Amino acid sequence: MSKEELSRVSENLTLETDESRREFLDKFTKGVFGGLVVGGVVSVLAPVQAKAQKEGSNLNESTPFKPFVLPPEQPGEDAILRMMRDIQRALKKPIEQRHWNMVIDLRKCVGCDACSVSCAAENKLPPGVIYRPVIQQEIGSYPNVGHITLPRPCMQCDEPPCVPVCPAEATWKRPDGIVAVDYDQCIGCRYCLNACPYNARTFDFGMEYIDDTADAPQVFLGKEKAGKYETEASYEYAKEWKRKEDASPIGNARKCHFCVPRIEKGMLPECVVTCIGRATYFGDGNDPDSLVSELIALPNAFRLKEEIGTRPSVYYIK
Amino acid sequence: MTREKMGNILVWILIIGFGAWGLPGMLDRFANGHVDTAYGSYIPWGLWISAYIWLIGLSAGALMISVMTYVFNIEAVKKVGKMAFLVAIATLVGAMISVGLDLGHPLRAFSLILNPNLHSMMGWMAVLYSAYFVTLCVELYFAIKKEQTRGEKQKSIKRILVVLGIWSIPLAFAFHGGVGGVFANVIAKPYWHGPMLPVVFLAGAFLSGGALFATVAYIWRPNQSKEEFLKMMIFLGKTTLALLILDEILELAEVYVGTFYSAYGEGHIWQEILFGQYWYTFWIVHLLIGVLIPLFLLTAKSKSPGAIALAGLLIAGSFLAVRLNIVTPGMLDPELNGIASAWVHSKLTFIYFPSVMEWQVLLFIVAVVMAVFMIGKKVLPIYQTAGEEL
Repeated sequence: MSKEELSRVSENLTLETDESRREFLDKFTKGVFGGLVVGGVVSVLAPVQAKAQKEGSNLNESTPFKPFVLPPEQPGEDAILRMMRDIQRALKKPIEQRHWNMVIDLRKCVGCDACSVSCAAENKLPPGVIYRPVIQQEIGSYPNVGHITLPRPCMQCDEPPCVPVCPAEATWKRPDGIVAVDYDQCIGCRYCLNACPYNARTFDFGMEYIDDTADAPQVFLGKEKAGKYETEASYEYAKEWKRKEDASPIGNARKCHFCVPRIEKGMLPECVVTCIGRATYFGDGNDPDSLVSELIALPNAFRLKEEIGTRPSVYYIK
Repeated sequence: MTREKMGNILVWILIIGFGAWGLPGMLDRFANGHVDTAYGSYIPWGLWISAYIWLIGLSAGALMISVMTYVFNIEAVKKVGKMAFLVAIATLVGAMISVGLDLGHPLRAFSLILNPNLHSMMGWMAVLYSAYFVTLCVELYFAIKKEQTRGEKQKSIKRILVVLGIWSIPLAFAFHGGVGGVFANVIAKPYWHGPMLPVVFLAGAFLSGGALFATVAYIWRPNQSKEEFLKMMIFLGKTTLALLILDEILELAEVYVGTFYSAYGEGHIWQEILFGQYWYTFWIVHLLIGVLIPLFLLTAKSKSPGAIALAGLLIAGSFLAVRLNIVTPGMLDPELNGIASAWVHSKLTFIYFPSVMEWQVLLFIVAVVMAVFMIGKKVLPIYQTAGEEL
């Protein structure tokens, strides 16, 4: 792929992102003022509306996909390009006809933690919250030892044990396979954390990286500037989440969501694009021509804890 | 000084002491949320959830005493029905504070009452506790009203109390068995998962609640003759003894089955409970203080009311250790080996011992429970009887 092609792709992506952000901010501002007027009514109806949204389960409807130009298919091209084409194809289908799957090739994973770090940056994760840790283990006994690295995103189970236990209906399975969380409805009981057989959910305790940092702006960078990261908003589930005391997502259960806002714009999840070994693949498992469908069909593909019947959407290859 | 007066002074000293000691913890909870707790994302439930099931169990047990009074017309406890309601209400209030403080967004919990997920056992809890609280208040109202009326009106109130009492039996089984269900449903935790836990929860609730009531009835005895008082204490002692034996049989079954295979399932969790870092919680706090000493006191030939009351206090107080040993060990196992070292943080560990702030909050909650009881006892005509309570 030439430099021109690469810059065209990135330009398309940037334009798309900026435009949608402006649209989003516009809608957000209108929503805030509108909300002030009808606040009382909305607060009463909120649970009903939230439920209706979940039953409709089409979060895509609010952000319709505008395809962008990708370079023509070439032999030997980077898997990233093929996966982006797969996503574009999938996004043209109705949401219920897609099923997002992730495949992680353990033979290629070097345990660099780039996926964990980029995920934390993308979602502005605070201390103690992690969506995709990489498990590293030594197996065997000397001199016959081996090393396993296993990235662990949310499995987005088709039979998710975390969903039925939620007392507030704050977590549910979307028709495209993603297990979503409504931060505004979550009461923070942490039942889902216990129910998950993969330890894939973590609780946002409201901690900050700058906690206990010295505040001396004349001498050091200063707590306020150093803590800019803490106040950056995340855009999980296509909504702006700015960290403020006692406001969601603080006090909520949090988890990997396959980077919903990115995939709905035709971009791959952050962990996929930052994987230095191209060990993580993503796409529509319902599309027989997608790369993930090919990989899932391999005889050495497997899922974690298959025996408990959770039917994860994440496959591993070994 | 009468026993009641001494009890009052002692309990008010405890209320002030626990309250003052616990206040910094409460302030910390409101100022910093859950930051200073020792639980994290891999052990998400700790002391406050244990305290919640401990207190709600005490409430369910006390409720059963009132059922004995108003539904089964048991002579020995005929004058303590109202006090049983008050104990049930006070402990229920404590349980709700404990679970409420454990939530990330406590105020949102009120929406569960109107809009619960009835697939979730915890969703059911919101409905059942609301129903239980209303039932208790209505029952207490009618129990007091009954003493203030005569003739036909009193008879009709008696009938209402019988109906409410009958209704509260399945309610108690539902809400406390349901709490067991909250844990038993979790397939990811072999130590919790299974049909036995709701039964164990119920047996433990009736034991601990009944035992607590034996102590309460001893200190604040109603207007009754010495014979009546002795009869009541012996009845409460026998009931507590029977429930203690039942509870221990169930525990024995759990330990036997749980430890049969040490290599997999819940075997090593039992190893941890029995011989791990916190072995004393099981052997000393639970088995010695909560079982063996009470067993000795309850089976003693003298049948002293003081010994029965002491046994009750030891059982009820140490039952927190039983609840702790249900809640925390269940989460000790990583779901995936190596997860704890994959991303290192103090909230991402499989080690748990309650922090000072958690203990402080618990003490404050206990102070609130005792204060609710003491104020309720003072304000409401709990001792007022129209000669015949039944």
